[in-house]
Amino acid sequence: MKLTEQQLSELAAELDQVKAGVMSQLGDKEARYIRRMLLTQRLSAISGRVLMVLGFITPWLWVLGVALLALAKILDNMEIGHNVLHGQYDWMNDPVLHSQRFEWDIACDAGSWKRTHNFEHHTYTNIIGKDRDFGYGLLRLSNDFRWRLRNLWQFVTYLVLSTLFQWGVSYHELAGERVFFGKKKPDRVNSVSHTDLKKAFFGKGARQLFKDYVFFPLIAGPMWLWVLTGNLLANIIRNLWTSTVIFCGHFTADVHTFTQQQCEGESRGHWYYRQILGSSNFTGPRWFHILTGHLSCQIEHHLFPDMPALHYLTVAPQVQAIAKKYGIAYNSGSFLRQYATVVARIIRYSFPGGRATTV
Amino acid sequence: MSDLKNRKVVFYLFLVYNCALKLSGRTSVNKTISLWGQSLYRQFSLMLANQPKLGYYLHPLLNWNKPALHPDYHSARVVDFCWETEQMLSVWLEPASSWAGFTPGQHLLVTMLHKGRYISRSFSISSSSALFAQQKQIRISCRIQPQGEFTKALAADISKLTHLSISDAMGDFVLATTADTALEKSIVMVAAGSGITPLWSMLSSLRCWTSPVVLFYCVKNTAQAAFLTELKLLAAKQPLFELQLIETAAAGRLNLVQHLKAKAGFSLTKSLYYFCGPAAMSRQYKDDLIQQGVSSTAIHAELFGLAVTAAEGPVKQALFMQQGKVTTVEAAAGVPLLQAAEHQGLTPRFGCRIGVCYQCVCQKKSGQVLNLRTGQISGDGPEQIQLCISAAHSNLQIEL
Repeated sequence: MKLTEQQLSELAAELDQVKAGVMSQLGDKEARYIRRMLLTQRLSAISGRVLMVLGFITPWLWVLGVALLALAKILDNMEIGHNVLHGQYDWMNDPVLHSQRFEWDIACDAGSWKRTHNFEHHTYTNIIGKDRDFGYGLLRLSNDFRWRLRNLWQFVTYLVLSTLFQWGVSYHELAGERVFFGKKKPDRVNSVSHTDLKKAFFGKGARQLFKDYVFFPLIAGPMWLWVLTGNLLANIIRNLWTSTVIFCGHFTADVHTFTQQQCEGESRGHWYYRQILGSSNFTGPRWFHILTGHLSCQIEHHLFPDMPALHYLTVAPQVQAIAKKYGIAYNSGSFLRQYATVVARIIRYSFPGGRATTV
Repeated sequence: MSDLKNRKVVFYLFLVYNCALKLSGRTSVNKTISLWGQSLYRQFSLMLANQPKLGYYLHPLLNWNKPALHPDYHSARVVDFCWETEQMLSVWLEPASSWAGFTPGQHLLVTMLHKGRYISRSFSISSSSALFAQQKQIRISCRIQPQGEFTKALAADISKLTHLSISDAMGDFVLATTADTALEKSIVMVAAGSGITPLWSMLSSLRCWTSPVVLFYCVKNTAQAAFLTELKLLAAKQPLFELQLIETAAAGRLNLVQHLKAKAGFSLTKSLYYFCGPAAMSRQYKDDLIQQGVSSTAIHAELFGLAVTAAEGPVKQALFMQQGKVTTVEAAAGVPLLQAAEHQGLTPRFGCRIGVCYQCVCQKKSGQVLNLRTGQISGDGPEQIQLCISAAHSNLQIEL
């Protein structure tokens, strides 16, 4: 269904009000929460690395160490990094938690992430041809894209991408800018030179590789192989988890896409409307939401990307009620159900045809 | 690949160049090693913790029970506080041992955690160097500004505050050493309101008096004069010190030159001047004195007071600083600073232009901005702002 401009501006006003209700109350509670997250992350990272070396006492300590390091990386990337880089905690004026200074434990350079994710993906969410996060230029996820032979084995591509997700994310901007391969798209204006892109990509990547696969194994002495394997496993666990969470937020069965014409000079209301239709939520216990960095509330995140994420759960019922009032589909379900539809979608569009999901 | 090769060549050339420099003795070996050490440490810290220094990584862990401690500053325990006047609050602080001390007259940036956020404001130290030497304590005295964010929060929270964060002491508003004053020079001080704080620190720290000092203390009325008892005591005890209390509510503004000329045996040109108060006051006195032939090097001034003044019209001046270059931008009310800066030919980084993506965030050094989306007015201290949805609320200094 189509909303009139009048309805859209009413929608914007209501959602703005929901946001203002939370933002005007920000204070000690949120600050304490994110500092507790930082403390948990530091404690699990350090203890995880120590326990891995103690694996010679019993391998169970090594297993616990791997789990803790994976947890630390997941917290760093999701509940802390992703949210801090969105500027959710900029108001705290804390250099450790500021979007302009934050750098995370992942191969992707924070500056590159802020350009491709915060700007491109969040501004042009699910606009075919503008939001390269829709399928990452690798997967065909709707009939808006022409079928190609390589789509036939795109489920395998998906599995590989998930396993190496941090490298996919890190290479994302360089792929879009055609730094190494392909012809540059004429309509892309880039603000960063290819040299700087390469410098950030190789610099950050090399530091991450050196840390996990040279430095820590070296100082572990005879336990070097255990530590190296443990770090590799922790990175892979984090990769699979982050990729799964993100896929469940944008590529479930009922997520819509948009054409560029629909969004030219769009109003704030239409932007909100597009964010609701372009995202999907999934449910779970509280700890589960924290591990997803509250991206389990992808809809709320896309509506209010700079609202401290712990509030997404509290505003979700209000957002759902507003969506219902305006007859906008609010896509939510259990984690397993949503993931099943993601897998189905990847497989369905491996083959020609299917339905276009543009509204 | 050729890019990498080039970089290697450049690196070796750099090495050779450095060795040559060292041999020719143009750069000290120590300095070179320390620079290399610094950059090596930075790289190491980035690799290990993704932070420019390991301190940032460890801060949440080591100071988990001290959230009020800002990672860039020193911790200071709040020892005591008292109200000097109805509007002026004095706070005694015990800085951590990492704090290096101060010269009377200097100021520091005080940071507090208020409602989860760090807010900062600079204050002059109002205590003597003796207090710090003997008890490791300093005192700051703050006039509570009804429009100010920091001082209001400080007054509200002071009874439950245990710690504040403080920067190193800074500023060159300090008393000339005895060597400079040996030429029988006298010292003239003018304090306006809370501008007494650095001057009182200087006066109470003076151990051996070699030259006469006259202090013009301008206040609205006596009830608003902080440290008055102490000043009167000093004047009674120290023959070289003269206190002139000017009640501006009754007597009007002080005409400095006229006052000084009336003093017997006083030479305008043989004096050193220290002003502390609003910028307009200092400028006025400075101009007057220079007209009388006083050298401008003899005049020292510290500026006090809020950046917001009624004299500013609807169009504010925003100073954008980019790599040492300063550009003045006319920022009209309600116009996003990003747009105003671009209109002036600047090219700040930007993204969505609707307040979503945080690409245009940059450091505001001073002044207040209006958030166009929420209608909120910011504090006056240094903080980060989104250029695309911020408009000038006062004159501003912004770093790009």
